Amino acid sequence: MFLILLMTSLFSFAETTSTDEKIVGVFYMTPLFGHVHQSSVRTSASLTTIQCAHPVKVIESSKVSVSKEWAYVEVADYRGFVMKQYLSEKRPDCIQGKYPKFFDALNMDLSELYYWGRLYDHYIQGETRVH
Amino acid sequence: MTIIFRAKLAFTSCLLLTTISVLAQNSKLQEEKELEVVNFKSIKKVLQQDGLSQSARLKKKQVAVMKIEQQSLERDRFNYPSEDEIWGLVSEFWLVKNAQLLGWDFEKPDYGLDESFRSILESLGFYQKKFKILLVNTPTLVRASLPGSEGEMILIISVPFIRSLDLSKLEISLLLLEDYFRLDGGYFKKAVSTDKLKKLAGTSFSGAKPDMGLIEELIKNYDIQINQKGYSFQQQFETTKKMDAYLKSNPQLWNTYFNLLGKLQNFLKVNVQYKDYLKLYPSPEMQIKWISPDEKIL
Repeated sequence: MFLILLMTSLFSFAETTSTDEKIVGVFYMTPLFGHVHQSSVRTSASLTTIQCAHPVKVIESSKVSVSKEWAYVEVADYRGFVMKQYLSEKRPDCIQGKYPKFFDALNMDLSELYYWGRLYDHYIQGETRVH
Repeated sequence: MTIIFRAKLAFTSCLLLTTISVLAQNSKLQEEKELEVVNFKSIKKVLQQDGLSQSARLKKKQVAVMKIEQQSLERDRFNYPSEDEIWGLVSEFWLVKNAQLLGWDFEKPDYGLDESFRSILESLGFYQKKFKILLVNTPTLVRASLPGSEGEMILIISVPFIRSLDLSKLEISLLLLEDYFRLDGGYFKKAVSTDKLKKLAGTSFSGAKPDMGLIEELIKNYDIQINQKGYSFQQQFETTKKMDAYLKSNPQLWNTYFNLLGKLQNFLKVNVQYKDYLKLYPSPEMQIKWISPDEKIL
């Protein structure tokens, strides 16, 4: 009896989590390198570093509240936050994709990859327009 | 025994040949394979009646175009990036390599510079300009402007310097505008560019290793230009005159700029921590003279 009760509650829990979440779509990272953040703050810890054109699953979840500048994403085994300005619906034309041999020859170490991603967290970006 | 060995050898060779032919097939485009399967000559009349020979000709043309595109993509894999792409790449690589020295990975105050700098540029008629501002946590590098790709500018300014001078967002934006004019004047590129960059950018290194001395030389020149060489009196004169010309139409901006130069002059006279600034950006005192209105003699 106890086992049946446990199974039923487990099934109902699984159902709730699945209905609470929605995959918005697959987007692509646009900067050369970027981070999946632990929280939706520019300086928050990095869960993983990803490079340009890496696909990320954008998720909408009732359990995670996100400000309009950030997206809640899933990349491999990680779930975290990426700034929306660095996501694109179309696969971008990345320098490491265009010139892979040249880019490999830069021989960047892990700390350089990390900092390159961080650089994009710290840039204050803008563009002037005609009004 | 020999017969068995020969039979095995024959079977292996046969298998190898089949694999090679399958591999050769795989390297062809799907459209190419389709063209090979259909023998158009034997069914020429039927095709002509159906108008299909025209579509076959069209397909052949498409395959030819796709083949050229594929070859060009393959060639690009062994190319150096274009000069414009290299500038953006090297500027960011320099910032990455100097991350610890510049200390830009820190929680910084929000000065509202994106809005303030954008509105100054727009008020002066500079449209479609992309900028990236990076605040650094060191008094060693006060300011710099680096070229990005596709006409983008990367502007760097020191937070300790901003705090020491108690600069407003308008004053910071005016310093950034000066840096934009320096970059636009091409002084930085001219100072750090190398023969290798001009020779190799956009070319192919197919069949050899890429010459990474191209990047190393540029990074070294960035260090020299940003930390030691700076800008000449002539370049400062041209930049200051440009500021004067653009800001004159807006007296409030012009006055803020003029007062800012005075503030810089007084601060740098007494503050030894920033003694190198005057070597890199000569000199606020001269800048004030260059734009001061002529005194009327009564």
